[in-house]
Amino acid sequence: MTMLLAAEEGANPLLPNVWEMAITLIGFLILLFLVVKFVVPAFERVYQERTEAIEGGLAKAKAAQAEAAAARDEYNQQLESARLEAQKIREEARLEGEKILADFKDRANAESARITENAHRTIEAERSAAVVSLRNEVGTLATTLAAKIVGETLDDDARAARVVDRFLADLESEQQRNAGAAR
Amino acid sequence: MLPATGGFTAPSVDEMHLPPFFELGTFEFGKQMLLVLLSVVLIAGFFMWAIRRHALVPSKAQYLGESGYGFVRNHLGRDIIGEKEFRPYVPLLFTFFFFILVNNLFGSIPVLQLPTLSHAGSAYVLAGIAYVTWVFMGIKRHGLGGFMGKMTMPPDVPKALYVFLIPIEFLSNLIIRPVTHALRVFATMFAGHLALMVAASMTAYLLTNGGLLSIVSVGSTVLGIFIYFLEILIQVLQAYIFTLLFAVYVQGALQEGH
Amino acid sequence: MTGSLSAIGYGLAAIGGGIGVGLIFAAYMQSVARQPESQRVLQPMLFFGFAVVEALAILGFVLAFIS
Repeated sequence: MTMLLAAEEGANPLLPNVWEMAITLIGFLILLFLVVKFVVPAFERVYQERTEAIEGGLAKAKAAQAEAAAARDEYNQQLESARLEAQKIREEARLEGEKILADFKDRANAESARITENAHRTIEAERSAAVVSLRNEVGTLATTLAAKIVGETLDDDARAARVVDRFLADLESEQQRNAGAAR
Repeated sequence: MLPATGGFTAPSVDEMHLPPFFELGTFEFGKQMLLVLLSVVLIAGFFMWAIRRHALVPSKAQYLGESGYGFVRNHLGRDIIGEKEFRPYVPLLFTFFFFILVNNLFGSIPVLQLPTLSHAGSAYVLAGIAYVTWVFMGIKRHGLGGFMGKMTMPPDVPKALYVFLIPIEFLSNLIIRPVTHALRVFATMFAGHLALMVAASMTAYLLTNGGLLSIVSVGSTVLGIFIYFLEILIQVLQAYIFTLLFAVYVQGALQEGH
Repeated sequence: MTGSLSAIGYGLAAIGGGIGVGLIFAAYMQSVARQPESQRVLQPMLFFGFAVVEALAILGFVLAFIS
């Protein structure tokens, strides 16, 4: 037994030393106390917190997802209504535009009509003035010319005016006749 | 008892019992006791320091602490005792595992170099605590009669066989079980430590006395190193087995049925 | 060469325990290899059986000292 058992005076290693047992018991109980009191609660708390953090994170993610879906729905809805509105506005604008266009056309027509009218009137007035002045001058000129040709004095104004008027009336009626034939 | 002719003296058990540091009457405070207290300080200190910040994202120390705690809690506790009732046992399992682990590893740390549990008394105490716990919990759960029946009467056996079975089962479950529980860890630590000492003293002897023999000392050195690493493995394994067996015993005492 | 017979006796006793523990772990590995999900059920049984078988070797260790 040289290897396993000590020489004669050696203690049997299976026999415990009471003080070692006591110290081991005390040490173990102190450690157990510390573990129960501090270590295990602390680790369990961290485990718990981590689990909660993960689960909370999942819940939060789910909530965020739901929120995002809701927001997307709302966005789509808004988009749809905006599209409808835009269409309506476009329609309205088109109508408005047409109305404005028609309005402008009317106004332009009226304006052009007015301008044409004015022009006509001016032309008419000028023609009248021209006719009047022409009549006077042509009368005088023609009288003078006729007196020269006829050699007869047409001093008698009344007579001369009568002659010129008759002549011009003839001319006018002839002109009218011509115009009626051309038409 | 020693070989009369040979010059080599194998180290004996007495060399594991160093003289105490001081004595108070019959109280002898020795290295082994100091190591026990040191282990308490180390374990409690490390784990309380590691978890001090309660961080959700652990630092390295906290991660290490959490791995150790999670290993004991989930692997030894939850998987064996069962999801429902393992929680009250987690502190005890944790204490057993790390107390034994650290005390065993003292055997492989230079200077300390003494596995605490190679002194039988400490192993007896630990196994005693385990024994008292699981027997007490079993009796609390099933009542004294129910627990004894569970421990001594295996089910589905012809009635006549109980004459033999009851004494055998009683001996095996209630007497040999705690004894082997204590001695398993004690014996492996004791024998491992002794083997390491033998290898070391062999090297020393061969080197000092040897001449030509000193060449052979290389072999004993290699043997010593091999034993050293084997010891580390065994030290960890024994801490694991001790705690695992405690968990198995608790689970057996708590479970319904046979 | 002098020594103690109990050391030899313990060595012989350890053979039985060694074979028994080996058989237990071999059976465990085989069944887990076939049915990995059975590991959880088998593991406590494995260590329980291992403890019982190893008890013999440990008793031998004790008897070697008591002699």
